[in-house]
Amino acid sequence: MAPIEREQGTRITVSDGALIPDQGETSLFSAWRISFYGALALVILLPVLSPDPYRDIIARLPMGILRTFQVTVTSIIIALGIGLITGLGRISRVTVINRIATVYVEVIRGIPLLVQLFYIYFALGRFLSLDRIVSAIAAMSICYGAYMGEIFRAGIQSIPKGQMEAALALGMSRTQALRLVILPQTVRVVLPPVGNEFIALLKDSSLVSIVAVTDLLRAGREYASTTFYYFETYTMVALVYLVITLFFSKIVAIMEERLSHGR
Amino acid sequence: MKRIAVFLSLLVLTAAFAFASGEAESESGAPVITVASDATWPPMEFVDADGQIVGFDIDLINAVAEAGGFEVEIQNTAWEGIFPGLANGDYDAVISSVTITDERKNTMDFSIPYVNAGQILVVPADTPASVTSLEDLAGREVGAQIGTTGAFAVEEAAGVELRTYDEIGLAVEDLANGRIAGAVMDNPVAADYVLQNENYAGRLKIVGEPFTEEFYGIAVKKGNTEVLDMINAGLEIVLNNGTADEITNAWLR
Repeated sequence: MAPIEREQGTRITVSDGALIPDQGETSLFSAWRISFYGALALVILLPVLSPDPYRDIIARLPMGILRTFQVTVTSIIIALGIGLITGLGRISRVTVINRIATVYVEVIRGIPLLVQLFYIYFALGRFLSLDRIVSAIAAMSICYGAYMGEIFRAGIQSIPKGQMEAALALGMSRTQALRLVILPQTVRVVLPPVGNEFIALLKDSSLVSIVAVTDLLRAGREYASTTFYYFETYTMVALVYLVITLFFSKIVAIMEERLSHGR
Repeated sequence: MKRIAVFLSLLVLTAAFAFASGEAESESGAPVITVASDATWPPMEFVDADGQIVGFDIDLINAVAEAGGFEVEIQNTAWEGIFPGLANGDYDAVISSVTITDERKNTMDFSIPYVNAGQILVVPADTPASVTSLEDLAGREVGAQIGTTGAFAVEEAAGVELRTYDEIGLAVEDLANGRIAGAVMDNPVAADYVLQNENYAGRLKIVGEPFTEEFYGIAVKKGNTEVLDMINAGLEIVLNNGTADEITNAWLR
């Protein structure tokens, strides 16, 4: 995510998130169109042309897709909350709060999500027996909350200092200035990276299948394990994920465009 | 060189034949049968803290020997070489959680089945005694390892919701933590978790009988009816006089 400074002063920015389609791209055969409509066509055509086993597979997936959405949407909402608090903590001038927020970010970002899932579900399961969905959502939220925290911190810091100074000069308290002047502007800045995180979280939600949550991936695995249609099942699972992520990347791109118009 | 090699292999074969034909006798005059077992599979056969080979299979074969009027000598043998060794005559029989399959029957002879190691239900220790089968857990979640016969059995049980895990240990941990109402696994695996594992002992219990069939048998070299008859005669007695049940209760329930 971080821009890399090169000697000549050129900057390259590499994003590890999903590819958000470029609005300037109007070609009929844009990469997004080829992948999205290609995947969608396959998802529809395969069950029609080859009902056995694709129709059975597709029939097994809707419950899994719902679970995937449930986990993803709940997690992103909680992660946004955690992220906002963490982001504010990261720029706080109170040392204790600043340290707590920074240590949280460092620790969480240093541990793979899969390990965090195992930890919350099985290691902590000894002491507090959380429901598996609750554990899955907790792990995803805590993990993504740290990444969101960094996005909010960067967003807040991207607002020119003069804004805060002007607000203070008008007699606002620091909190008021933050709430009424800085944060509303931050929302616009952080929206694209937050959208990216949402798509990344949607993909990472496949990890929750490890704690026996029957999400899209596990629904497919359970079918494949009894029928041995591994190729067909995972083809379908991959295509469904692709259709969903590409759909949402388009939504994020449209939102981004709308917001930049209002500028 | 070649001639020496041929001579040596003949020598080995002769020696092996002598063993295989049950010519060895103990001091008391009773015939001695050497039995191979891969003692790495608790609770069926394993090496205990004192270095002794113990387990269900060991108790059973000793009981069989006593009933059949012969003596056994257990030989700890790695699983990979256990059937070639039997064919080679290195020992007379194998008791090592060997599932009787049609494929194996082509290359060895089996005794009558001595235990059903099929899928069995494990529940938390505080589950009411009225729960004795999968059907009693209707409306609740039961775990199993993905792709196993246990998972298929749960899926088919009326009203029970299947939870699949990547390994059975995760299901057992979830069961112990109270997240699922039961878990289904191989009987010996269940016994190992429930009876041997200090983490779970007292927290879990096995209920009912195995509800799928996976019979273990004692294997002998193809055509070795002499040893097979001795084993079967002893086994017949042990299975019918309650000794086998006692051993089952000691190791598998």
